[in-house]
Amino acid sequence: MTNLTMVKAINAGLRKAMERDPKVLLFGEDIGRLGGVFRVTDGLQKDFGEHRVLDAPLAESGIVGTAVGLAMRGYRPVLEIQFDGFVYPGFDQIVSQVAKFHRRMDGAVAMPITIRIPYGGGIGAVEHHSESPEAYFAHTAGLRVLTPSDPQSAYLTIQQAITCNDPVIYFEPKRRYWDKGEVDESQSALDLGAVADPWRARIVKAGSDVTVACYGPMVRTCLEAAAVATNISLEVVDLQALSPIDYETLVASVQRTSRLVVVHEAALSGGVGAEIAARIGEKCFYELEAPVTRVAGFDVPYPASRIEEHFLPDLDRVLDAAERVMRY
Amino acid sequence: MVDERVSAVQLLTPEGQRVAHPQYDINLTDAELRGLYRDMVLVRRIDTEATALQRQGELGLWAPCLGQEAAQVGSARAMAPNDFAFPTFREHGVTWCRGVAALDMLAMFRGVSNGGWDPNAHKCGPYSIVIGAQVLHGVGYAMGIAFDGAEDVAVTYFGDGATAQGDVNEAFVFAASFSAPVVFFCQNNQWAISQPRDRQSNVQIFERAAGFGFPGVQVDGNDVLAVMAVTKVALERARTGNGPTLIEAYTYRMGAHTTSDDPTRYRLAGELETWRLRDPIERLKVHLARQGIADRSYFDQIEHEGEELAEQIREGVRAMVPPTPASMFDDVYSEQHPRMDEQRAEMLEYLASFEDAVG
Amino acid sequence: MAEQQQVFHLPDVGEGLTEAEIVKWRVRPGDSVSVNQIIVEIETAKAVVELPCPYAGSIEALHVPEGEIVPVGSPIVTILVTAKADDREPVLVGYGVKTDHEAHRRPRKPASRQERTPTSATRTKPLVRKLAKELGVRLDSVTPTGADGVITRADVLGTAPTGQAAGQVAASTGRDVRQPVRGVQRAMADAMVRSAFTAPHVTEWVEVDVSRTLDLVTKLRANGAYEGIRVTPLTIAAAAVIHAVKQYPRINSTWIESPQGAEIVTHSEVHLGIAADTPRGLLVPSVKAAGSMQLPQLARSIHTLIEAARAGRSTPADLTGGTITITNVGVFGVDGGTPIINPGESAILAIGRILDRPWVVDGAIVVRPIMQLSLSFDHRVIDGALGSRALVSMANFLTDPAVEMVLAHATE
Repeated sequence: MTNLTMVKAINAGLRKAMERDPKVLLFGEDIGRLGGVFRVTDGLQKDFGEHRVLDAPLAESGIVGTAVGLAMRGYRPVLEIQFDGFVYPGFDQIVSQVAKFHRRMDGAVAMPITIRIPYGGGIGAVEHHSESPEAYFAHTAGLRVLTPSDPQSAYLTIQQAITCNDPVIYFEPKRRYWDKGEVDESQSALDLGAVADPWRARIVKAGSDVTVACYGPMVRTCLEAAAVATNISLEVVDLQALSPIDYETLVASVQRTSRLVVVHEAALSGGVGAEIAARIGEKCFYELEAPVTRVAGFDVPYPASRIEEHFLPDLDRVLDAAERVMRY
Repeated sequence: MVDERVSAVQLLTPEGQRVAHPQYDINLTDAELRGLYRDMVLVRRIDTEATALQRQGELGLWAPCLGQEAAQVGSARAMAPNDFAFPTFREHGVTWCRGVAALDMLAMFRGVSNGGWDPNAHKCGPYSIVIGAQVLHGVGYAMGIAFDGAEDVAVTYFGDGATAQGDVNEAFVFAASFSAPVVFFCQNNQWAISQPRDRQSNVQIFERAAGFGFPGVQVDGNDVLAVMAVTKVALERARTGNGPTLIEAYTYRMGAHTTSDDPTRYRLAGELETWRLRDPIERLKVHLARQGIADRSYFDQIEHEGEELAEQIREGVRAMVPPTPASMFDDVYSEQHPRMDEQRAEMLEYLASFEDAVG
Repeated sequence: MAEQQQVFHLPDVGEGLTEAEIVKWRVRPGDSVSVNQIIVEIETAKAVVELPCPYAGSIEALHVPEGEIVPVGSPIVTILVTAKADDREPVLVGYGVKTDHEAHRRPRKPASRQERTPTSATRTKPLVRKLAKELGVRLDSVTPTGADGVITRADVLGTAPTGQAAGQVAASTGRDVRQPVRGVQRAMADAMVRSAFTAPHVTEWVEVDVSRTLDLVTKLRANGAYEGIRVTPLTIAAAAVIHAVKQYPRINSTWIESPQGAEIVTHSEVHLGIAADTPRGLLVPSVKAAGSMQLPQLARSIHTLIEAARAGRSTPADLTGGTITITNVGVFGVDGGTPIINPGESAILAIGRILDRPWVVDGAIVVRPIMQLSLSFDHRVIDGALGSRALVSMANFLTDPAVEMVLAHATE
């Protein structure tokens, strides 16, 4: 076991994936020489060469579109979009091409593309660098969406995303990039029997009163809330996969607690929480003691960084919601 | 790094020597020349002060324009009052010339605003962080000018990196198709974060214009006189209905991409040294002194003005307070919206529920 | 000019960095400094950076030695500022991730809950709505005691504490006491009426010598295999009913009347209702699939169900779905009666008190513990002959339960 930041954990996972499969290519802006603006790809171009770790021209649509072609040629491209707010020039290639190709070709061609996107706020940044656009992609058929919450899960899930033959949008919670955690690098992500299935939600803290479903950057926030909650026992579920969502685990938890709070940074209306609320309303209609309640960002463009703390769900808001559902 | 200034227009050498060019010339009064010097010095002072403030934690980040003062001041001062500028996030020289207050430029980097000024009051769009987006906006604005039958011109600024973006290439297409009165001003400062210019284009940037069907010209971006001369010609072309021009100002990003960047990871210190010898302000200073257009007392006066400006900026930035939390619901829409009202009320109620709630 | 101590905290010099190493101090305590003078070199994960001094004055103290790594926000140097008094806040920690050193909760004011007027007459959560439906309780007959006019579970069960509901008036005129009938009480009353006046009840009774039953109970209780399992005469009586169902399945039926006509549904499973007297009144939870249970499990299930009912923890599933019922009136000290069949069922067995009585055995009068069985049945479903046979089956079982169980086992 080593104590690694999430950045180093993803770096190690990328390295493992590249060692394992010579068809894995990394492609993105400033990922080669510079090692990425967050240093996630640090050292990889030096070790694997410029033909496997490529610095792209400044064009997101170009990066995604050429990746489609590379995939058709048998490569396994792992793309980096530098920041969440810059994925939009590439959005058309993602939803019109990457997502639909397999279906369009009746399964003859796979799109084993992983698109890594640092996302979320809480880093005091200027505009376009704190977005949470995961709902657009979770809503798009043909895509899978995954998001780790800590170094260990990042180390495993990045490898699993890469080996998956479907396109995976891999959202990395940038405010947690520097969180440290124990990482067992001996775990081979290919031995799925030995290792947790990334498409399963994880119960990261057991509890009995309220299920708190969250993902990415909010998992740590919810764990902190659970730790300070004196009068309610929260069960914190890290969803990990936003498409498909592991309802089996979530439903089992809600059946135990009868109450669900969903937490995400992304805006409330039309977010992933809305989908979960609808689905759990259907599946657990007679088990619920209270309506499914969401703690989310407001329906406004992400604000100037000096007031972002009022936009982002925090410990207080999570506990406020938990107490509200207990009062029903 | 190869010097690619194959045909860069130059009217003032790095040594401060005035030279002629077959196609371009400029005639400025002494006062105007001193004015250009003052502009560049003050812009540089703003830039260095902002860099220092970021290091002190007063700004979240800063995108330095160090070394690009001539390209920005020269082009912006060529514009007419009703022309409209579309900057990226590094054009502090342009916003300065359009009359934007220094503190307004810094508001975004301070994190108290995502904009900073009224575009119509200054005929200057907001700083644009999404690469290349503003170039399309500029073309659209220019198309509007044409529909109005007016004589204004839009000037869109972007870097070498942006020329790879789809939006910029589409902007070129649209400008050509509609013969839009726009000047495309590309500051080729050689670097897009860690990527050298040749990652974005196999030919020099100004040469790409021919492929789109309009003229392209390369100018020594550190020569404020040449920049101004070339920009004036391009503005005139647009103003008289002759469509777009691409100007490539060949310059250098002396600082980092932003203050979060470490250029030593991807470029050699030797480059900086080479470009220090081509400093835009130094060459003009030498020229002014040699020609007797300005003397030591003038230079001291400008330096002092710079220090005062820096002090104002320091104090002003430190005094900049964040907007109220509920302000995030303002102006999301231009008309009343039920969700905004609902969520604003929820937020205020929630904030008031804390024991240490203020007010 | 006033001198003021200003502490300079390590700023975040790159997007979201959390710590840095102090590489080299360029000043010493006592040195005078001017604004923007470089005072220290720091190394972060991304770069070596020179930090300019934000103040003019003199260095009072350096707080971090060279070579040490400190988190963003740590005080690194104190400067005695000689410039004009600065009463503003000290230099910001810098942008990037705010390091919460410990997560804690901001204290809230005590919640002031506004009562909102209900928008509809019957507001209740789905869970409670379902319970009401299963118990046959009409929501518009229930007075809500929950906040915002919400009908609670307790309201439906008729177990809401008195005095809290608007409209629940226990007015006394003189010495008469008036108690409004609500919730499960009301439901039960309605059910009784329905049952009594639609199913033609016939009640037959028989007296049984239960000495062997008591003997068996004593022996089982003393046996280690049955430690912790509450076997009682009721357990054996329950087994007797199940045994009779197996012999005469038709007694485990439901008469269903519909516009298309009438049907008798004979159930494949025995869900044995056990009438329980609880602080909340009579409840009849049922042991599901009792017919498949061995004696220990049957005993346990009955015990658990009755305990839950007494504690008010019966689930809707417990309280519904029974197919035949047994009621122990003996605990009240009576011998028997004419029990009313549970709606939806066709038979109910009442067992009375066990009393030593004179009994004739082989021509001689002996003292035996005698228990009376009273079986009411719906004559539409079960005629006299069938009812009698079923009753006799139960009586025989209780007369010699061990033998009957063995015989039953042998024929399976």
